[in-house]
Amino acid sequence: MEKEKKDAPNRELSFVTGGEVNIRQDPWWWLVVVVIAVVILLVMLQPVPFKDIIVFAKDGILVTIIVTVVSYFLMLILGLFGGLGRLSNNKLVFGISSLYVEVVRGIPLLVQLIGWYFASPVIIQKLGLWTGIEALIQYRANPIITAIMAITVCYGAYMSEIVRSGISSVPRGQMEAARSLGMSYFQAMRYVILPQAFRVILPPMGNEFIALLKDSSLVSVVAVADLTRRGREFMSAHFNPIETWLMVALLYLIMTLIAARVVSYIEKRSKYER
Amino acid sequence: MSEPIIKIEDVHKHFGKVEALRGVNLNVDEREVVVVIGPSGSGKSTMLRCINRLEEYDKGSITVDGIDLNNPHNINMVRCEVGMVFQSFNLFPHLKVIDNLTLAQRIVRKRSKEEAFEIGMQLLNKVGIPEKADVFPGQLSGGQQQRVAIARALAMNPKIMLFDEPTSALDPEMIKEVLDVMAQLAKEGMTMIVVSHEMGFARAAADRIIFMDEGVIVEENTPELFFTSPAQKRTRDFLSKVLQI
Ligand SMILES: Nc1ncnc2c1ncn2[C@@H]1O[C@H](COP(=O)(O)OP(=O)(O)OP(=O)(O)O)[C@@H](O)[C@H]1O
Ligand SMILES: [Mg+2]
Repeated sequence: MEKEKKDAPNRELSFVTGGEVNIRQDPWWWLVVVVIAVVILLVMLQPVPFKDIIVFAKDGILVTIIVTVVSYFLMLILGLFGGLGRLSNNKLVFGISSLYVEVVRGIPLLVQLIGWYFASPVIIQKLGLWTGIEALIQYRANPIITAIMAITVCYGAYMSEIVRSGISSVPRGQMEAARSLGMSYFQAMRYVILPQAFRVILPPMGNEFIALLKDSSLVSVVAVADLTRRGREFMSAHFNPIETWLMVALLYLIMTLIAARVVSYIEKRSKYER
Repeated sequence: MSEPIIKIEDVHKHFGKVEALRGVNLNVDEREVVVVIGPSGSGKSTMLRCINRLEEYDKGSITVDGIDLNNPHNINMVRCEVGMVFQSFNLFPHLKVIDNLTLAQRIVRKRSKEEAFEIGMQLLNKVGIPEKADVFPGQLSGGQQQRVAIARALAMNPKIMLFDEPTSALDPEMIKEVLDVMAQLAKEGMTMIVVSHEMGFARAAADRIIFMDEGVIVEENTPELFFTSPAQKRTRDFLSKVLQI
């Protein structure tokens, strides 16, 4: 009993309680503040063209955010199943998920985007002709949906590997203990393995969000009017590349910096004593 | 004599080229405490893990409380009846002690939150650490963790408890607190199979001692006869090694 008491204090030290969104705790918030201040300053000092750019591009910002957030959540789900598949004892499931991961990771996202956008409608229409389903014959590619699908498939492959490594990091004894208590495989995954894997996966998951946010600019090549595409349209109308791309870059920077802070906040909060 | 609660007949198991079990036969009666000893790699863990099917065996048959393990539909039923305690505790580190005890009660036994909590607290009392209900396993000593692990298994109301070297990961001063809990269980009439080289415990609590070597049961006897007059040379050699320490 005495021994336990002696051990207690330094164990307590390593226990991290919930962080708070607080500039003093996380000085990197200052960088966010500074970049936003620069943007405001530019807009006030030189409304032409800086304010015009923002007004022109604001629906583009919205599209960027929607594409990013929607594909992010879809790719998390896909990555969860991909990762579980990569750990499956079932050879077919393992084979399919491994093939998916290896193939998709070997093709540039830009190529996948263009491929989905131009090739998938043709395939679907052919399929329609073949089966005689009118809706398929009439199919036209919806840029945003196609873009979200392409990003989801591509990032889902990377996420599968992250999920796989996260689950593998949970000691084997955890699954055995859960199963020996009578839990099914899925109950053990849901209540024992995934909550532990999640804490390992969280940092790379956050990085994926920021990477996806930046890569979402690629959707501008498949007729999605995101921030990048709106920037290009503004530039060709007004011939001011320096101001346009400075402002577009700053807007992306604000989004990624905020995302990075949120990620680090969530990470701090989810640390726990082992 | 009533039927044995565990019947193991000619069970074989191999891992690749390694033959971990080469024809194990063992019957365990209700309320019996069996201690299994034997050198490293002799198949003790493998035999234990076959009993709740954490490991699938290749040949033979195992019946637990009348349930035939060769029929895979019965796995979760058997696992509810058989509690298992591991050398490395395997508590769920992301859950508080009390939640470690209630999780399986709620999702497997389908007990209400209140009932599971009640049973959990009773068992924490039984293993002597009710005050630790709200801490995380990482903040407990090894001995406390193992006692929680025993309580977690007991919470499912198993008919049989399996222990795989429950004290060999513990510092010497914590071994007793765990063995005391196990001895208490034995006294209450729990059917137990214990892999352990704690000879003091074996002498005091076991009804029967089993010596395994190279995947078979070499010798079995009551503690008195086992220690005083082992029949096999292999047993004598092994005993002279462990009893020296
Ligand atoms: N998952 C596994 N994969 C491959 N070989 C294994 C596996 N589990 C056990 N073995 C092998 O089977 C044999 C029996 O192992 P087992 O763990 O049952 O022995 P044990 O008597 O419990 O030994 P110890 O006292 O070291 O725990 C050993 O040779 C071991 O290397
Ligand atoms: Mg072992």
